[in-house]
Amino acid sequence: MAIELGLKEEQEMLKTMARDFLANECPKTFVRQMMDDEVGHSPELWKKMADLGWQGLVFPEELGGSAMNFRDLCILSEEMGRAVLPGPFYSTVVLVGLPIQDFGTEEQKQEFLPKIASGEIACTLAALEESGDLWAEDISVKALQRGDEYVINGTKLFVTDARAADYMLVAARTKRTSNPEEGITLFMVNAKEWGIYIQNMNVMDLTRKQYEVRFTNVPVSSKNIIGGLNEGWAVLQQIALKASAVLSAEMVGAGEMVTEMTVDYMKERVQFGVVIGTFQALKHRAADMHVLMEYSRSLMEWAAECVKEDHPDTEMAVAMAKSYCGDAIKFVTDAGVQLHGGIGFTWDHDMHLYFKRGRYNDTTFGDSNYYKELIANRLEANLI
Amino acid sequence: MVTGEAEQTEAFRKEVRDWLIANLPEKWGTPEYVAPERFSQEAQDLGISWTKRLYEAGYTGFNVPKEYGGIERPGWQQAILLEELSRRGTPPGPQSLGQLMVIGTLMGWASEEQKKRFIPKILSGEESWCEGFSEPNAGSDLANVQTTAVRDGDEWVVNGQKCWTSMWKFADWSLLVTKTDPNAPRHRNLTYFIFDTTTPGFSRRPLQQMTGESEFGEMFFDDMRVPHENMIGEEGRGWYVAMTTLAAERSGGGGAAAAAMGLSGYGGLIVRTLGGVDSLIELAKKTKRYGKSLWDDVTFRQRIVQIAIENQASRYYGTRLGIAMRKGTASGNEASIAKNSQAEQRKRQGDMVMEIIGAYSQLMRGDPRAIDGGEQVYNMIRSRGATIEMGTSEINRNIIAERILGLPRA
Repeated sequence: MAIELGLKEEQEMLKTMARDFLANECPKTFVRQMMDDEVGHSPELWKKMADLGWQGLVFPEELGGSAMNFRDLCILSEEMGRAVLPGPFYSTVVLVGLPIQDFGTEEQKQEFLPKIASGEIACTLAALEESGDLWAEDISVKALQRGDEYVINGTKLFVTDARAADYMLVAARTKRTSNPEEGITLFMVNAKEWGIYIQNMNVMDLTRKQYEVRFTNVPVSSKNIIGGLNEGWAVLQQIALKASAVLSAEMVGAGEMVTEMTVDYMKERVQFGVVIGTFQALKHRAADMHVLMEYSRSLMEWAAECVKEDHPDTEMAVAMAKSYCGDAIKFVTDAGVQLHGGIGFTWDHDMHLYFKRGRYNDTTFGDSNYYKELIANRLEANLI
Repeated sequence: MVTGEAEQTEAFRKEVRDWLIANLPEKWGTPEYVAPERFSQEAQDLGISWTKRLYEAGYTGFNVPKEYGGIERPGWQQAILLEELSRRGTPPGPQSLGQLMVIGTLMGWASEEQKKRFIPKILSGEESWCEGFSEPNAGSDLANVQTTAVRDGDEWVVNGQKCWTSMWKFADWSLLVTKTDPNAPRHRNLTYFIFDTTTPGFSRRPLQQMTGESEFGEMFFDDMRVPHENMIGEEGRGWYVAMTTLAAERSGGGGAAAAAMGLSGYGGLIVRTLGGVDSLIELAKKTKRYGKSLWDDVTFRQRIVQIAIENQASRYYGTRLGIAMRKGTASGNEASIAKNSQAEQRKRQGDMVMEIIGAYSQLMRGDPRAIDGGEQVYNMIRSRGATIEMGTSEINRNIIAERILGLPRA
């Protein structure tokens, strides 16, 4: 199996194309406009991205996709992190598109993937509840069978971009046994159904909105079960794995951007009659930022390649990347604010956009501590 | 970079492993093996004989041209070799920094005759070298060397003192940076030589470190006469030659080849520390403190995991660096990143062991109750030097900030 770090020529092209496109279409003025927008989703930009083939990047060509691979998706995600792209790309493609591609039936793929690829629909995952953790025992939203359909009742929290979504992939309990991982089922639910009530959660990162979603007697056809009745936990774990790799890629893109912005500022800002970049204490902090991002990138590229190749080290690689990038983005964005001084602490400066998105990326699907525990278990198992 | 090509690499790995089993000293790696005391004559002899074995097996001088005794084999083979050597913790051999940095310097600046005369004997272990760089008043500020060399006919007369010299005791030859023009501007006043340590006027003595050992020494020059032909590079250009030595040193000598497989920096150090994580876990699992196993303590466990993650990050950073070197997009300054991270990790790893062994972290070699014969405590103390030697962490941060990020010099 080939683990290839660095970029091939066509990947360099994808990166450059994405960077140029986002520089034009997603400047910070646009990001701020979306922050103030209730839904935080621009249909115009969504359509342009679909025209470039982004939503369908990794889907097969016969389903309207571009048949590129997971590593390419991560390259794109780096650029999106760099631009702090708002809107439901991540929730649609990574949280819903990928699991349908991985676990869906032929029929389900035919039904949903072309619509995602064309930009016709946006989607999201509704998995977390009161605990805020992705933990089987904590899933208590119920789906009861009624003839050919199921009826969903309960409340989901931290649902990313729910208001922009046409479909929600909902994790619900369909059976209760002594094993909490058994009896979870994922349903593709039409978000416009009666009985779905969406309420804003007042989140810190306004570039990626999250919602409380209440389900009251919401019907869904049993044909919309993704990954088998009572077998949803495995799907959720796979979603978490791939999403964590993508979130790591976003953190790398964002952290590199923050380092560049900070270094540029240090070359311009004059205090005590000299540019502040000449001060060794500040230089050393900038050097630390750079080093953390180089190491973050190294682990992230390794993780993305492992996912792409379905390598036996995948779980370990993603856990290491997510844990390290999570710590790194917190350090780097903190240093970014600090080195900018007063201006870096203002709402008008863009540094806080990266600071807050970094917190989302670290927390979501398990923070660095969570992943360290996972690694500890694996390292211990490897000893024996 | 493809680290895949699984069959090919695994075949070579097996070849190396088989060779190691057949060639390592008897009882090596078993509790019965008694290692010679560090820096003793016996340890030196072991190093030389081990170097010779590797040389004869064709396992040394990977990126050195054949006419100078090298083997010109691909970098990935060198990386696997280093990995396997580190895994077994072999005696110090020709992969050691000192040797590689001398070769790096000679390859860059020496004459054809000098390369042919010296490099094969370094590779085969026949001649040992040391580096006459640092002085009492020229540490991080290397350009401030005060040792002088004055031309006298076909010779140069050297006076002054060097310190912090590794491998000082048994070196047959040494590198030497001297000030030759007191009136020339900084960086243009230095000249680089090599000298035979049997030259009259040369003397050396141990410099005891906080480990209690004398890994480093001091060298004194009292009207020592060095032939003009032993100059490396041109008169007044010594600073630039020295930069080559330091770059070779920082990038672990093997440089590109080692980096190519994720082993940049201290040669095999990353792998040594990676292997160390397993032993950290084992140690934490079997150590009970205040009634419970340390591995069951979340804080301990997570800090050990952090070390494992950082080791892996170094490894893949090295891989990426290797690719950049091949593409020609690396500047060479990246070695400062790898060096710093590894040195700092080495400290953290050493400290972790101390925390695990608790009260026993005070027992040094010679105490019957010392853990691993006091090796762990020694390593922890020795690691304090890691962030100082080969460019302090602070100097390396300056290099990263100024030469990679382009921040202005003060």
